[in-house]
Amino acid sequence: MMICDSFQRRFLFSGILLLALSFFIPGISDAADIGNCLMCHKYPGLSRVDEKGEFRLLFVNENIFNKSVHAKVKCEGCHPDIKKIPHEPAKKVDCLTQCHIIEPSSEKKFSHKDVATFLAGSVHAKTDKDGQPKKFAEDIPTCKDCHENPLYRPLSFFKRVRPGISEIALGRCRVCHKSDEFIYRFYNHVTTRLHKIRNPRNIAETCARCHDNPEIIARHELTTRAVFSYGETFHGKAAHFLSERIPDCLDCHVKPGESVHQMLTNKDPNSITHINNKGTICGNMDCHPNATPQMANYKVHTEFNLEQSPFAYYFQVFFILLTGGTLLPLMGIMFLDLVRRLFPNAAFKRSKKTDEEKT
Amino acid sequence: MKKRPDIKIKNGKKYFFKFTPLQRAQHITIASCVIVLVLTGMPLKFHEAFWAQPIYALFGGIKMAPVVHKIAGTVLLLLFVFHLAYVVYSIFADLIIPLHKKKELKLFTVVKTIVTHPIMPSWKDVRDIIDLLKYLLFMTNERPAGDKFTWKEKFDYWAPFWGIVIMVSTGIIMWQKELVTRFLPGEVINLALIAHSDEALLAALFLFIWHFYNVHFSTSVFPMGTVFLTGYLPEHLMVEEHYEYYQKVMKAAGLEDEILAPDGAQRKTSGKAPQATREISIADLPRVS
Repeated sequence: MMICDSFQRRFLFSGILLLALSFFIPGISDAADIGNCLMCHKYPGLSRVDEKGEFRLLFVNENIFNKSVHAKVKCEGCHPDIKKIPHEPAKKVDCLTQCHIIEPSSEKKFSHKDVATFLAGSVHAKTDKDGQPKKFAEDIPTCKDCHENPLYRPLSFFKRVRPGISEIALGRCRVCHKSDEFIYRFYNHVTTRLHKIRNPRNIAETCARCHDNPEIIARHELTTRAVFSYGETFHGKAAHFLSERIPDCLDCHVKPGESVHQMLTNKDPNSITHINNKGTICGNMDCHPNATPQMANYKVHTEFNLEQSPFAYYFQVFFILLTGGTLLPLMGIMFLDLVRRLFPNAAFKRSKKTDEEKT
Repeated sequence: MKKRPDIKIKNGKKYFFKFTPLQRAQHITIASCVIVLVLTGMPLKFHEAFWAQPIYALFGGIKMAPVVHKIAGTVLLLLFVFHLAYVVYSIFADLIIPLHKKKELKLFTVVKTIVTHPIMPSWKDVRDIIDLLKYLLFMTNERPAGDKFTWKEKFDYWAPFWGIVIMVSTGIIMWQKELVTRFLPGEVINLALIAHSDEALLAALFLFIWHFYNVHFSTSVFPMGTVFLTGYLPEHLMVEEHYEYYQKVMKAAGLEDEILAPDGAQRKTSGKAPQATREISIADLPRVS
């Protein structure tokens, strides 16, 4: 009883102390945190082991969150099931919740539900055309398999394009828009969306989580390790070296003007990768404007093994034999030469001619 | 053009003419190009290796390194074109015109002089390889007596010759893919990549192991053979690798008495004291210019 009392007193005291401290810590209160969730979630050690035995880190880094694309969304926007503090374990976030800010062109509440519509018609739909669940539907990605909460990645457009915010451009915004917080957010939003939020390597790594997974490849009867084979091309290697200009998976697999969520299988006549359409992929104005449709016959995703490409396989074998056939004998001679130089005068049989000449 | 002396004697040591300044300039150009091409190409082939990123960064990373690679490749292509013109000119000036002057200009004699040119592979090379193996396996104490160009040197010349043809042609296919795929199917780029990448590895290993062993690391030349800079081969290397040619040159220069034994030992003491500094030109010695 005594122990319990003392524990309660200490707990109460720490609670009051934390609450008091929170008034003095700068930047602790933010517009998104109306429910004061950060009162607890600001502590880096905040974590627990859940019912499945998995370790869950519950810490929210406010500085990082405020630089993310969801900075303006209130905690309750994604976690509508939490009504009071302290709360029960929160439900998983549903990205399609109508939770968001007001979309300015329609002045309606914004949500990601269109993405679900796009996905339903794409190769990544959980159901087939007849509405029947696909085989291994649990392998099909949902929002959070590909997306985390990305950070703003603004571009400066004044005179030249470079990463970051252009203060000169912002000066123009300030003429009409008085709230700096608003213009920074709007600028960040627009310029982040004008280019890719992730670099090509990052995108390839995201797709590789499934498309290079041998079990998923086998289950879904895919023909190749998509990202591995991409990684063997110049595009993949340049992506590895963090080139931003090199095409990644989405650049060739999504029709220009459509959302990546509308990606189709190459058997679909509407797909950009369909045999009748893929000729236009490389000839993109930003890539190889002079390319003919023939260029797209380049086998981006072929692994040069006997099953996928016997000719290329034997072509490679030829070079391996040529390399081995050239280098091994020469290296053998080199090795023998090294040994011979240790015993320059030794020989099982001596040439009489040389010995005579010497004397 | 001023004929360079065939033997230079400096401080009593003999040096034998081997490469003209133009040949040396071509060698330095190809060597520089190949080093740059390897350093800007291998990090792509082995992009996941720990050294790939830092080496690539030396050449400006993914933005600049491919440009540097293309510049070095273009210089190599121009050098190859120049070398072909140089070979054609040399055949004309050194083989065809002398035949014409001797009034022996017939197809057969032209072909014969080309085929028997010192840089062309011959049966003697096969015999020399067999003799070298005998020597290396301690079956004899005599090295093969090499001619003007040994089989190793011919290999060092003809292997890059084939290599450049493969590297340049496949490099152009990948560089000018839009143009090439107007005439050829896209799969050609796949094959070009395989050939370019695999042949590059072969060439790099060949040069940096085999060629470097022969001209840098072998105990006869360590730390570096100097003939690629001076154009003249020191006597001990002439004896070691080119004994047949060495005897030919020494006899033609009237220095029979000073010919060293095949293992480099003095055979007999010469009556005359060796002159400190002297230049000897031999009029009728076959030359590769």
